Amino acid sequence: MSQHAMLVDESRCIGCKSCTVACKQENGLQTGDWWLRVWRREQLKDHLVRYYNTQSCRHCADPVCQAVCPVGAIQRGEDGLVIQDDAKCLGCHVCVTSCPHNAMRIMTNGKVGKCTLCSHRLARGKEPACVSVCPVNSRVYGEREELLLEANKRLSELRTKGLRVHLEGTEKEQTAVMYLLVT
Amino acid sequence: MGSYVRTRALTSSSEPLDHDEELRTSICCLCNGGCGIKISLDQEGKIKAVFGDPENPYNKGKICSKPMEIAQTLYGPYRVRYPMKKVNGTFERISWDEALDLIAQKYNQYIKENGTGSIVGITSKIGGSYSKLAHGIFSELTGLVNYGTGPICTDSEANVRKKLFGDGSGTSPLSDVVNSKILLIVGNNTAQTKAGQFHWITEAKRRGTRVVVIDTRFTETAQAADLFIQIRPGTDAALGMALLNYVIKNGLYDPTFVSKHTNGFEKLVQDVSTFTTKRAEEITGVPQNVIEKLAQDLATLKPGMLFEGRGIVCVNNAGASLWAFEGLMAILGNIGKPGSGIISHINNTGGISNLIQPNDVMKPDRKRSSSALYKDMEEGDVKMVLISGNPCATWPDSARMSKAIEGLDFVVSHTLVMDDSAVLADIVLPATHWLEEAGAQPSVHRVLQWKNKTVEIRGEEKSGGDFYRLLAERMGLNSSYFPDSSESAWELERKHNKNVTGISRERMLATPGGVHFPCSEIGKENVRLFANGVFKTSSGKVELTGVSDAPLDYVDTFDAPGNNGLSREEFPYLFSTNKVASHYHTECQYSDWANEMEQPYVEMHPLTALEIGVKEGDKVRVETVAGSIVLAAKITQSVPRGFLSTQPYFGLQSPYRQAPANTLFPVATDPVGGNLISKNIMCNAKAEGGQGS
Ligand code: SF4
Ligand code: SF4
Ligand code: SF4
Repeated sequence: MSQHAMLVDESRCIGCKSCTVACKQENGLQTGDWWLRVWRREQLKDHLVRYYNTQSCRHCADPVCQAVCPVGAIQRGEDGLVIQDDAKCLGCHVCVTSCPHNAMRIMTNGKVGKCTLCSHRLARGKEPACVSVCPVNSRVYGEREELLLEANKRLSELRTKGLRVHLEGTEKEQTAVMYLLVT
Repeated sequence: MGSYVRTRALTSSSEPLDHDEELRTSICCLCNGGCGIKISLDQEGKIKAVFGDPENPYNKGKICSKPMEIAQTLYGPYRVRYPMKKVNGTFERISWDEALDLIAQKYNQYIKENGTGSIVGITSKIGGSYSKLAHGIFSELTGLVNYGTGPICTDSEANVRKKLFGDGSGTSPLSDVVNSKILLIVGNNTAQTKAGQFHWITEAKRRGTRVVVIDTRFTETAQAADLFIQIRPGTDAALGMALLNYVIKNGLYDPTFVSKHTNGFEKLVQDVSTFTTKRAEEITGVPQNVIEKLAQDLATLKPGMLFEGRGIVCVNNAGASLWAFEGLMAILGNIGKPGSGIISHINNTGGISNLIQPNDVMKPDRKRSSSALYKDMEEGDVKMVLISGNPCATWPDSARMSKAIEGLDFVVSHTLVMDDSAVLADIVLPATHWLEEAGAQPSVHRVLQWKNKTVEIRGEEKSGGDFYRLLAERMGLNSSYFPDSSESAWELERKHNKNVTGISRERMLATPGGVHFPCSEIGKENVRLFANGVFKTSSGKVELTGVSDAPLDYVDTFDAPGNNGLSREEFPYLFSTNKVASHYHTECQYSDWANEMEQPYVEMHPLTALEIGVKEGDKVRVETVAGSIVLAAKITQSVPRGFLSTQPYFGLQSPYRQAPANTLFPVATDPVGGNLISKNIMCNAKAEGGQGS
């Protein structure tokens, strides 16, 4: 079965936060709750560099959150999506501290929550909400193999421009959401 | 965190949207980007969600966050739903009939006793094409003088361009960038202000267009460019003039275009002759070799385009910068050809003519400049104002504007929300939102797109179109001129404006992305202006020195209106404003999501923060000659030392309870272009409330 995945390209993000609002709208999140955030990263090298970094669940192939959950409320499915079940969740928050990507968040209802990769949209053959709005295709969704080709194309283009870039989520610590990051 | 632990939450933290097959199509009317949108309604007919329209060729399904935020503005507690009258300081609900009678009676009385000039309109948010037309007819019948978006946004740009080319509009669509070899973006953060359309620029860049950004702030647009040229605030004209001089001296201009299509070249040569790149370096801080390389690139990379923004338009020396950069495009021959020209969000379709019989036209008995308006309101020459917009936050010296409006005899606000201006009115009227009104919407791609009404009103809201027709009726004017719907308004407009005659509603709806204008009949669409080399000036040529009788000259921002004469010791910094992607004017402030995305702050360089003695998030009092406001510090290297910037649109009546940034700008005008200034004012900044050193 062909695996699907998402690519998040930090080099393209313009920090418009459209993805964040689309996520809140699509998933009906409460005021104060987030599954996807955009952070500004500023660094002074020989000149100023700034990037916008989005943060959300990466859907790990081997999710720590699932391993630590005492009641099995987090399950990775055949399709590679890691889904947290609100009905089973105790609100103990151990997953929050264990997630290496800071993606599992405490929600205002006391339980936890995170990105589902818009599984309800995927089931209808649509791409995740954040991908659908991102004006600069910093976020793309598709078949993993094709995305890897796209990512490698972008990497080599960026490298010819002298940028130091790498891809996260492809090797040992495989994730369904891959990140093209600038160092 | 312990207090958050609840083993059984009562509600789920999320509620994914259901599938909706019946999405309605519309056009976003916020930033003039013209993004196609799709709307999902709930069972009550309220907006549930807003998506991008994948069928619209200009945004291909992509949108910024603003249209999504709109639902919360529409149904939020600040929305005005029925007419109100202020009685002893509090608003009481009244009927439209009562409101219209009262306004008509006052209006006629002031005309009779004080002349037509005693009534003015401050009308930057009049509504869609229907409302604009009706408001235009009303103004002709009554001699109402209006101050629209011009004084606070576009006047300098439109005036300079009109004098150069005979038309104030952008000459080319944004989508033309993919055909250009170089794009010069000056004082414009498109990545944030038109995020939904920014992919045109990144796509062009991928196809090989060289994208050069000139700005004081290291913007998101600069971040995505091939080259960012950081310039000292307010010195753009010096750069533009040096580019002109270098291009001329080195014979890099287009001699054929200059001789065939321009006037005044010799005088322009004279005006810029002392502006060496060396001198420009001293003024702008941009190294000489960078300026020279840019000039060479502009000469070799053809065709090229220019996209200016509020960063050089709303400043006290705007006219000269706009004149220099647009003149530069002209002498390079970068006008009228595919992939060349000037991109702008000014896209006027032109006015109507021959609709009103001459004996029905009432001429205003007096006119005043936007800056003189303050005084005339204060001194009682103005008795009544009709507001649609929020001048008490968007006009400079906002506190003075508020006081002047408060002091008037009679104030009407036709408004979406209870904003800083509406609270001062005697009569508040509920206005429809653009999703509640059909109309033709022009965009930065120089197209007209038709949007049907998407949602029904939920109270007694009326469009400007209905309001001005009804008011004309009550006043006993010839109301037969007025259309009574968006559809009939468009038919009328097509009859009386040849620029849109060939653009029917059916055609707009049937053409994805809309129809290019001017278009006098089918088959005569103009993608870009001046393709035939004939300009709209009286000579038919570009008037390179026609902007002013005085020569093109650089005036330092510190010596220009507003700053002129102030002490550098007392006001050591410069204060400016810039927009962010999740906010747009007054309307977006009333959304919870907008609130979560962005809070008011003032950007400052770490060294400035150190001087003032504040850390990230500390309160800073910014003071200018006009007033002072308090903002939270946001420390960033993306602004130069000594330069402070904040978002321009917050209001005291909005959920932010933030004094408007425009409070800090004195009433001053760009002498060449005519814009009121809302950037680059000298200021001081201090830690507020006992913090700092
Ligand atoms: S990113 Fe965090 S929350 Fe998402 S699957 Fe991995 S461990 Fe779990
Ligand atoms: S929508 Fe795209 S460009 Fe905008 S913040 Fe999100 S990832 Fe970045
Ligand atoms: S970019 Fe402009 S037109 Fe497009 S969705 Fe955003 S505000 Fe609306």
